[in-house]
Amino acid sequence: MSVARFLFAAVALSATLAAAPVSFNRDIRPIMSDTCLRCHGPDKSSRMANLRLDLREEATKALRNGRTPIVPGDPDHSEIITRIFATGARIMPPEFAHKTLTDAQKQTLKRWVAEGAVYEGHWAYQPVRRPEPPVLAGNPVDAFIEARLAREGLKFSAEADRRTLLRRASFDLTGLPPTPAEVTAFQNDKSPDAWVKVVDRLMASSHYAEKQAMHWLDAVRYADSAGFHGDNLWPAWPYRDYVLKAFRDNKPFDQFTREQLAGDLMPNATVEQKIASAYNRMNRYSAEGGLQPKEYLAKYGADRVRTLSAVWLGSTMGCAECHDHKFDPFASKDFYSMKAFFADIKETGLMPDRGADAWGSKLLLATPEQQRQLDALTAKADAARRELDEKAKALLAKAPNYVGTADRSWHWQKPVSARAAAGSVLKIYNDEMVESSINGFERKRGDGLIVASGPIPSNDTYTVELRPGAGKWTALGLDLHSDEVLPGNGLARGADRFVLTEVDAEMNGRKLPFVLATANKTDVHVDAPAMAAIDGDPSTGWSEGHMLGLRFGSTVTTAADSVITVRLHQDSPIRRAVIGRFRVALSNAEYSWPYLGDSGKQSKARTDENQAVLNVDVEHGVPFDVTEGFKAEPDKRTERQQKAILDFFEFTTPELQPLLIAAEQTAWERTRFFWSIPRVVTTETTEPAITRILPRADWMNETTEIVQPAVPAFLGKVETGGRRATRLDLANWLVSAQNPLTARAYANRTWREFFGMGITKSLDDLGSQGEAPVHPELLDWLASEFVQPSYDAAGAHAWDMKHLVRTIVLSKAYRQTSMSTPALDEKDPDNRLIARQSRFRVDAEVVHDTALQVSGLLVDQFGGPPVKPVAPAGYLFAMNFPKRDYSESRGADLYRRGVYTEWQRTFLHPALLNFDAPTREECAVNRTNSNTPLQALDLLNDPIFVEASRVFAQRALAANPKNPIDEAFRLAEDRLPTAQERRILLGLHAESLKQFRADPKAAEALLSVGEAPRPKAVAAADLAALTAVTRAILNLHETITRN
Amino acid sequence: MTNTELCRRSFLRAGLGGISGSLALNSLLSAQNLASKGVVNPLHHAAKAKRVIFLYQAGGPSHLETFDYKPQLAKLDGKPMPESLTKGQQIAQLQGKDLVCFGPQHKFARFGKNGEQLCELFPHIGSVVDDLCIVRSMTTEQINHDPAHTIMNTGSIIPGRPSMGSWLLYGLGSEAENLPGFVVLVSNGKGGQMQPIAARQWSAGLLPSKFQGVKFNSIGDPVLYINNPPGVNAKLQEQSINAVNAMNKIGYGTLKDPEILTRVAQYELAFKMQTSVPDLVDVSKEPKSVLDMYGANPGDGSFASNCLLARKLAERGVRFIQLYHRDWDHHGGVKANMEFKAQETDRATAALIKDLKQRGMLDDTLVIWGGEFGRTPMSQGGDGRDHHIKGFTYLMAGGGIKRGISYGATDDFGYAAQENVVTVHDFHATMLHVLGIDHKRLSVKFQGLDARLTGISGDVVRDILV
Repeated sequence: MSVARFLFAAVALSATLAAAPVSFNRDIRPIMSDTCLRCHGPDKSSRMANLRLDLREEATKALRNGRTPIVPGDPDHSEIITRIFATGARIMPPEFAHKTLTDAQKQTLKRWVAEGAVYEGHWAYQPVRRPEPPVLAGNPVDAFIEARLAREGLKFSAEADRRTLLRRASFDLTGLPPTPAEVTAFQNDKSPDAWVKVVDRLMASSHYAEKQAMHWLDAVRYADSAGFHGDNLWPAWPYRDYVLKAFRDNKPFDQFTREQLAGDLMPNATVEQKIASAYNRMNRYSAEGGLQPKEYLAKYGADRVRTLSAVWLGSTMGCAECHDHKFDPFASKDFYSMKAFFADIKETGLMPDRGADAWGSKLLLATPEQQRQLDALTAKADAARRELDEKAKALLAKAPNYVGTADRSWHWQKPVSARAAAGSVLKIYNDEMVESSINGFERKRGDGLIVASGPIPSNDTYTVELRPGAGKWTALGLDLHSDEVLPGNGLARGADRFVLTEVDAEMNGRKLPFVLATANKTDVHVDAPAMAAIDGDPSTGWSEGHMLGLRFGSTVTTAADSVITVRLHQDSPIRRAVIGRFRVALSNAEYSWPYLGDSGKQSKARTDENQAVLNVDVEHGVPFDVTEGFKAEPDKRTERQQKAILDFFEFTTPELQPLLIAAEQTAWERTRFFWSIPRVVTTETTEPAITRILPRADWMNETTEIVQPAVPAFLGKVETGGRRATRLDLANWLVSAQNPLTARAYANRTWREFFGMGITKSLDDLGSQGEAPVHPELLDWLASEFVQPSYDAAGAHAWDMKHLVRTIVLSKAYRQTSMSTPALDEKDPDNRLIARQSRFRVDAEVVHDTALQVSGLLVDQFGGPPVKPVAPAGYLFAMNFPKRDYSESRGADLYRRGVYTEWQRTFLHPALLNFDAPTREECAVNRTNSNTPLQALDLLNDPIFVEASRVFAQRALAANPKNPIDEAFRLAEDRLPTAQERRILLGLHAESLKQFRADPKAAEALLSVGEAPRPKAVAAADLAALTAVTRAILNLHETITRN
Repeated sequence: MTNTELCRRSFLRAGLGGISGSLALNSLLSAQNLASKGVVNPLHHAAKAKRVIFLYQAGGPSHLETFDYKPQLAKLDGKPMPESLTKGQQIAQLQGKDLVCFGPQHKFARFGKNGEQLCELFPHIGSVVDDLCIVRSMTTEQINHDPAHTIMNTGSIIPGRPSMGSWLLYGLGSEAENLPGFVVLVSNGKGGQMQPIAARQWSAGLLPSKFQGVKFNSIGDPVLYINNPPGVNAKLQEQSINAVNAMNKIGYGTLKDPEILTRVAQYELAFKMQTSVPDLVDVSKEPKSVLDMYGANPGDGSFASNCLLARKLAERGVRFIQLYHRDWDHHGGVKANMEFKAQETDRATAALIKDLKQRGMLDDTLVIWGGEFGRTPMSQGGDGRDHHIKGFTYLMAGGGIKRGISYGATDDFGYAAQENVVTVHDFHATMLHVLGIDHKRLSVKFQGLDARLTGISGDVVRDILV
């Protein structure tokens, strides 16, 4: 047997500790499931010898060869016993199965047959009955465990001390350590219900929801990005907030279930219920060009079944996508019948990931007032556009070949100077050669190209001076050049886009106002059109397209030596969305069309080295669709050409200008308001797609059996009276008495939150290959208590999530010390019996939140759009579509709880990933908990933790200037250091102080990490030395361990 | 009972089902350095290779302009593809388009003792062809980049399965003391056709995260957070870590929790990594002759620099080194873009083989060259090729693999692998085989199954083994 198998197929504790008689569920099913059922189980396609051992009726029938697999009570005449003890070619399981039975397992099977081969239905599929606690007084949780411990000759350990207790409960319930004052208050509270009060206080906090939601979000694979390919961001956070509120407000779990699976189908669905239905849209989506839509629809559907199955059924139905389940009674048909429940979800295989149509069905979360305002703005914009179009069409009818031969080209300028205000270095390449890389590599004359390099500030303002010579100018043009070296979509020096928040121009100290801004369009940043660059609002900006045309309010007349100063303000909240390469142009045509700035055409136009001045564009300032359109008869023009001609005509016809400007302005007002309203992806229903059983998940198969929505056959049926069953029917069934799995799966996972391991540790598999529960009666009691509270249940309701948690946390079992003894370790090394508490490192988010909390940096704000804590530059280097670099949040949003961190599936934030947060590409009902050098590097060197250390030092110093080290330690650990610990910290402090006094620059460097303010009154060396100490404290095992 | 024993016991009883179980698992596996034993101990059979360098050409290189010579296709250039071949087959961006033959865009020439036909853009690879095994009959199941990468790396399209580097760390452990055993490097190309690569591709998935690949970066810290914070020098860092560890050891004295000792060990290791990694990734100290051989410019983050770094990592015992080189997604301009790709990879790939050979390391290092799929013999947009899963080429060299051979073939169009078809799973089985692992026996308990890490199918390609 391989070591791997030995390690992971370890015999269940309950079996090793068990006494006679043999129990099928406890002793036999795990053996059979692991070694026999692959070939002699439910999956007919891999069944051998036409023999099934999972059903007694089948196993006790004579085979064709006359032998009988199992003769109850008579192992000597039972073929399976003969075969497992055989040698050579006849041995079962055979060599090719790579499975072996131990002697003990063989003996157990033999005994079981001798005792009559009694089968039991699998425990998890039996109805949840409510076991009677062995002792009626007190918390039944304790009664069940104590009875079991007594059988094992064990007892509960002593209660943990109050500091430990409060830290444990605070971490478990709120994900934050308690303050020293809270600990002291609890220590001093001698009242008998001190613990109850503490638990109720913690559970009433909104932090409770922030902690409890984390693992639910793992399970439903909530993320802020789509997960495939470009992995672009989508608006999902209102669904996350829905989950948070459900935990905070203790929404009944049956309601929680219905709303998520079928909120959109509920009668008179509320906005909240429609938000909840975003659950159905949390699977990964792909926008990769060239995908085969059917293939991806199959992927999305299968993902939904896997998730539903793990979260509500604690089952591994994913196995049945390709074949009947090998161990549990899920047939392949069950998998596809479950998938059929979701066949009504309106979606496309290729899910657009940018622009107005991104992510399909969305719900605008406008307040009634916002909706009213939006309607008014929309009406106004539509009216302005209509007026313009009508007039334009009338005029156009009289001008059949309007375009003529007028030269509308831009005059590219060779700037005389270019400066940046905030640190970028701008260099002008006029006649100099410049290298560029876009679709290859080239080196050519700059012709006025301005290239930014050097430091990359979060914001900057570029000032460019032009000396165009004598002339009359109608418009200013700005052409952004793509380059592979620019991470921001090839255009900006950071971020995933550029944002030009405002442009202004002046000459001789006089402003040159713009009245119209137009850009070529890519339909990506539809919320950031050209007009945003001249609206006087620094919070909005232009991101859409490559070339911007800005029309002057009145013609600008220059003399030979006139200088026009152009300022490009880049003040976006998105950091480093600053332009990398650009050229500036002027136009002296009546109107110049900016659509020509398209990089492809531009580079074609510029391939001719002999072109002296790049003032001639390939289409002479006229869009290609326009010239082509005019070549055709009016009634032969394509729709696209007609639109292009109308746009061009409106843009270039003098008498239409007031109407055009009004239309553009009102459109922008409407757009700006529309995009300020939050939205969420949601579920909309449509004609259900046909769902077929796909053998081996072959999505190209169109010949197989069509299935209707149905729950797994062996678990019952959804009664609809012939109507096609819906997601709402499914949800109702999940939380009905007919389904024994939901309550058990949920109760088991809840237990894990408070003891570190489930009552059965296989959280995702309550089936026959999962571990049998160590405390089966306790699990069933909890499941029953969850559905129908009766113990200490004043104010509780059915499916009460908080009641379940409270019942567990108020138990004696929970309050035990985690300290073990050699004897207990010997008997129960993994603490499955719960004769003590467990210790484990807190979750990734909590590691982060703890550092922020003890330093005082944590910004306590419930819900809202995702935030982006600091992450390393280049972290998103391997992503594309768009190319991007990480852009951290501003101000308070840098210091929010980890649950709000933007969940980027393909590159999860390192502080989450390093500490085992799942990427949420796939449903995860359990987190691993590792201990790696990368975690050490993160806690030691990640600027998030370095800044927290510095602010932590400031806090300790302010609170206790005489003894900040003790203060800091107490803030983090809720106790004072021992003499020995204090000596170590003092030693580190003395050493650090010496070094920082000798090297003040080093002190300044350390203190400059992070943007949180720093008191100027404290000497740099002193604060830096104390920061070294607080940094050590944040790195302590104790700080990040829940005990 | 000693702590190590306790630790081992609890590990043996732990599954992956809970927090304490995993803790124990990690405790056992964390020694005082990153070197560790794997679970395949002893090996299933004698190993020929100890480590793998996978030159992963991301985006899907055209086999038709690299190593699969198709003179017939050249003759049929511009003619419709026979429908008998393409009907009912998966297709990506050419869905609904006319399928027209598109001849090889570059000439081929003969190289090596057997006169192997390779594209003439790759003369350096040609110069080492006698050390290569050219597999011209690879196939995969996934036609879009993201899932195709995922199946190539993990054997599955469902996220959360371990990647191949994790298999090796889990199975074989690592011999690198101060370095991760599974290192990932990414370089970009000049053609601007760079598909994204998700971190999932080097994830440990359901295995403990200590088996995950660690990405070395050419921008910023070479390994995330490997550098001290500003103002903290090596001495202060060491003193800080010593203080943390001393405090943690006091905690251990009270709690006797082996997990604390693991934490102490991880901090020591982190510090060792801090001292060794920056030095390691600095290839500027290599002799000029070596830099020239690879065509590497220190600090440029190029594929060539990464190849040189891969050799250094291999020397230090890193088990699995995966170099992603992007920009092979030639939907358009395959002719010109292939020239870029050849400039970027030809010399360096050959240099790595030669360098390993001259150091005696090619005998126990398996070098692999290939991407997530190949490209269509049909043209896309008149000058490009679409994604293609039914036949493409991989190169293998070194430990356990026959040298100077080719294996398998596509049809005359270069469309479907026809002879000796090698699936992704076969490739995985073969790779594991030369490393001493029977892929059918490398499993982990997952969702109730003894899940084979490589997935359920796959046969070793015995014909290419030494």
